[in-house]
Amino acid sequence: MAIVLIRAVILYIVITFSLRLMGKRQLGELQPSELVVTILISNIAAIPVEDSSVPMIMGIVPILTLVCLDVIMSGFMLKFANVRKLMIGSPRIIISEGKILQNEMKRLRYNVDDLMEAMRNQQIFDVNEIQYAIVETAGKINFLLKKDFQPAEKQDLSGSGKSSNSSSDNPPSVIIRDGERDKEQMKLLGLGGSWLTKILREKNLSEKNVFLMTADKNGKFNIIEKEKK
Amino acid sequence: MKRIVISIVILAAMACGCFLSVYAVNSFTDKMIDKIHEVERAFEDGDIETSSQKAKELSEDWNEFVDFSLFVNDPGHALEITSSVAEIHSFAQEGNDELYAACDRAEAQIDMFRGVQNPTFWKIL
Repeated sequence: MAIVLIRAVILYIVITFSLRLMGKRQLGELQPSELVVTILISNIAAIPVEDSSVPMIMGIVPILTLVCLDVIMSGFMLKFANVRKLMIGSPRIIISEGKILQNEMKRLRYNVDDLMEAMRNQQIFDVNEIQYAIVETAGKINFLLKKDFQPAEKQDLSGSGKSSNSSSDNPPSVIIRDGERDKEQMKLLGLGGSWLTKILREKNLSEKNVFLMTADKNGKFNIIEKEKK
Repeated sequence: MKRIVISIVILAAMACGCFLSVYAVNSFTDKMIDKIHEVERAFEDGDIETSSQKAKELSEDWNEFVDFSLFVNDPGHALEITSSVAEIHSFAQEGNDELYAACDRAEAQIDMFRGVQNPTFWKIL
């Protein structure tokens, strides 16, 4: 009995340390690999507690191995965009400029009921109110409402109003993340490589020095430089 | 970055620990099997005293190793080997012919104990 108690205490410490090692991301939305690790940890941890004939090391080694691999893999994902795409995929647009992209929904195996449920969760009851809907990598659907259906903001009340090219009609997308160009996104926005080169030259920046660059279809952009170490 | 370094260090330490434990089990079991053969040989030669002495050493060696065995393997194996080693010791003291059977049994159990630790392709699958 005492063995079970001591084992439970040790495993509690190991799992707490492991989750701490996995970082704060773990406590929010789970990515597929993180979900797998979390489920496996809970199962593996139970074995040496339930069965005292199983050495505790048989529980600790796989738990730490899974967590360490997850952290190392997240490091790879941070460094290499291709690995990130392979492991967690990329966000997909299922409603673009008010039009439902049915093929994309089919590809993601989302049906109309899933879409309607996600809409209702965000207090949207009419599909015509939506300008963009994006399925995030963790599976959550986020919506951008058409300008007329968005709640009034301070600038609307002050009379300055939104221009027809405001971000609600034409939301900006990430075109450089952590020093790497997203060619696919640039193609979607209709922005060429020469346009980007010109902007970066004007700003006296190289692609590698950009932490985040967003742009919309009209070429309106925003750049956040990488912090110097 | 700090987390990644810690993870790599932990993973490397665990990998080293695991393979060292396999090495420790392999070298210890080799030593045990050699000792069992020595007991048998001495018994065949009719040297009961040497046979009994070697069986006692075998028993002492195993008792020293048993804690590590419990750390890496389930207690069932340790229990079986402990009882076989004890039998060898008592049969050697008595000069009982059943010692051969006890030696074979202990050898098979030790082989099994070693086999459980070795990461062979089929066992991994």
